[in-house]
Amino acid sequence: MDISRESRQRRVLKTDMASTQQRVAVCADNRFTKKKPPLQRLRLVLFLLAVPLLLIVSLMLGPSGIGFPDLDSPVGSAIASLRFSRMLMGMMTGAALAASGVVFQALLRNPLAEPYVLGVSGGAGLGATVSILAGASLALPLSLPVVAFVSAVLTLLLVYGIASQGSAGQPSVYSLILSGVIVSAICSSIIMFLVSTASVDGMHNVIWWMLGSLQPASTAQQQFSALLIVGGLAGCWVLSSRLNALVLGREMAHYQGINAGVVIIVGLLFSTLLAATAVSLSGMIGFVGLIVPHVMRASFGPDHRRLLPLAALGGGVFLVICDAVARTILAPVEIPVGVVTALVGGPFFLLILQRRMKQAWIA
Amino acid sequence: MKMAENALTFLDVSAGYRHHKVLDSVSFSLKAGELVSLIGPNGSGKSTLLKTAAAFIKPLEGKVELFGRDVSHLPPRERAALLGIVPQKLESPMAFTVEQIVTNGRVASMGLFRPATSSDHDLVERAMIYTDVLAMRDRFFGELSGGEQQRVALAMVLAQEPKLIMLDESISHLDINHRNEVLQILLKLNREEQLTILLVSHDLSLSAAISDRLILMQDGAIRAAGIPKDVLKADLLSGVYNCDLQVRQDLYTGALQVSGPIEGQKRSSPTGCRVHVIAGGGSGIELFRRLLLEGHRVTAGVLNLLDSDAEAARALNIEAVFDQPFSPIGAPALQRAGRLSEAADAVIVSHVPFGAGNLVNLDLAAEALKQGRRVYIANGISGRDYTSGKLATQKVEALFNDGAVEWESLHELLTVLHENQK
Repeated sequence: MDISRESRQRRVLKTDMASTQQRVAVCADNRFTKKKPPLQRLRLVLFLLAVPLLLIVSLMLGPSGIGFPDLDSPVGSAIASLRFSRMLMGMMTGAALAASGVVFQALLRNPLAEPYVLGVSGGAGLGATVSILAGASLALPLSLPVVAFVSAVLTLLLVYGIASQGSAGQPSVYSLILSGVIVSAICSSIIMFLVSTASVDGMHNVIWWMLGSLQPASTAQQQFSALLIVGGLAGCWVLSSRLNALVLGREMAHYQGINAGVVIIVGLLFSTLLAATAVSLSGMIGFVGLIVPHVMRASFGPDHRRLLPLAALGGGVFLVICDAVARTILAPVEIPVGVVTALVGGPFFLLILQRRMKQAWIA
Repeated sequence: MKMAENALTFLDVSAGYRHHKVLDSVSFSLKAGELVSLIGPNGSGKSTLLKTAAAFIKPLEGKVELFGRDVSHLPPRERAALLGIVPQKLESPMAFTVEQIVTNGRVASMGLFRPATSSDHDLVERAMIYTDVLAMRDRFFGELSGGEQQRVALAMVLAQEPKLIMLDESISHLDINHRNEVLQILLKLNREEQLTILLVSHDLSLSAAISDRLILMQDGAIRAAGIPKDVLKADLLSGVYNCDLQVRQDLYTGALQVSGPIEGQKRSSPTGCRVHVIAGGGSGIELFRRLLLEGHRVTAGVLNLLDSDAEAARALNIEAVFDQPFSPIGAPALQRAGRLSEAADAVIVSHVPFGAGNLVNLDLAAEALKQGRRVYIANGISGRDYTSGKLATQKVEALFNDGAVEWESLHELLTVLHENQK
């Protein structure tokens, strides 16, 4: 069977050499080779079917009991609306983190990259800590997320500025990662110092914020964050064909007519916007931004035009499920969702990656 | 109209990296539809020239024009429609399939918002057919062999549809069948679609056979340019590549064949002659290396310990006489060196500077000359004579009068040694 396929292609090559007219006809036809691997398509269908199912399951889970709450009673409808808005929070946060991770891994060409790698977490955490300890978060309703967001973006600019020093405005991937790690470390030292000198109340608030939770934020903040996240996702998705080219290296991307420097800066800005919005919305939730991109890449291939929306969807659903588990399993106690993402997601994803890592990265 | 147009023009371009200038006021032009090979030794600036042509490196001085337009002001998308570069090696850390890689060639012309059209698909398809990678379209790029990856890279650049294509030693990894196929594709595109091709190549004979012109680079400058016959001259190439090269013309086909010393030698004589080298101050390292490579048996001395030539002699296992560092050469060492020198067929004096301390080494040469052995002394003695009263210069002049031979380039010296050996 293989042999006949090979010989048919030979024939195509010959006709192709013979006349240009015929060549186009043969190519447009594609009858010999144009076939998506059926397994991958099956996987995609299963995934898309699983998404609404899992979301419905998440609505059935909660500390008040398993199953749909009674919408006719006022308590039931309040519970239902709470679960629904937590689902929205989870979708937004998870999608933002996962998409941001995809973009960071592509721009930095590094499987260890994640949304927090360039100091977003450190910067946002420091801003939030200062804001909480100064008591500003109680005085002004939106101050905590805004401060966290602004300090995250400022940190990115600082990291980028440091990395660009002495390289003619074009920081290398390694200097970006290194300066990100260094700035993050400095930020977390300052946070630890502030926390250690803070009052018990302040310390408690900071630590809870840093553990992350999907407690619904104010409606105004949710709407604003949704706007930013949708904008950020769209921005990243527009860049996705450029991300494909950039994976081959900045030089090759340049030869293919891509303004690599601009794509890198814009991509970093969009993905930091996503991560910073997620952090300001739900605190620091780890693991989603690192692992979900890997698993989705291993399952559906590295083409970013597909990968980016799929990863956003996958990250959102994953976080929603984790949150449902976190609030149900030890009810009425709620475990921090960040604990569940790693504890439950870790082994599951390890299994997938072990079998399919080859489909994501070249060792 | 097309014939007159220049595809690529370099006007006095100097370029390089920080603190390190690679190209030094390079000027040349490629006519549209030409096939030109860029040749030259490693590190002569060929790849930098390609990077400068694609505006990946900005020239420090001068101007690069692509089809009459200043490349530094060309929007990236238009530049990519004019110029495509096939790299030495394409690397993808993520597991892209072959088809996904080739589709990258369309990325600039597809723009940010327009999805791929059927003509994009056709171009990708055609590029894969041309390069015979269609059968592996769903395989992972990273799992292919080096030559297959090269063909995929070429397919990607062909899908880009540039009017000028530059191949950076891209066909050297291909097996003979696919090399010929790829060359045929390139020649066909060159012939039928006026594709201009710049081929960076180390296969001089192949370049001569297929190119309209050759450009020979050396140390960041263009040493020679013209039709293959004018560039492939044995003496010119031997000087540029710093080794012995022959150029022959095939009697039947007229093809030029460049062959190197290895082909000529055929491992005929494992032992060359025995030579004694008088060196010092690092002037002997290259000499040692080349003499050993040519199969000569080398001895050296007297060398001061800690001198870089002494270190080199020890590292290369050369039998040598050493004396105390930073002090004049003593009589016992000189005597031992004399015995080594007597056993040698020839004595070579490197471009070593002479002072009062090592002046006596020249006596070894005088002794050898008296015994009727050949002595080769590097030129320009007066420039490195630090003895009071120019004693070294006087001694060397006397040696020349007695029949010592003056040498300038290593290549020349090795040729003479080789001839005398026969």
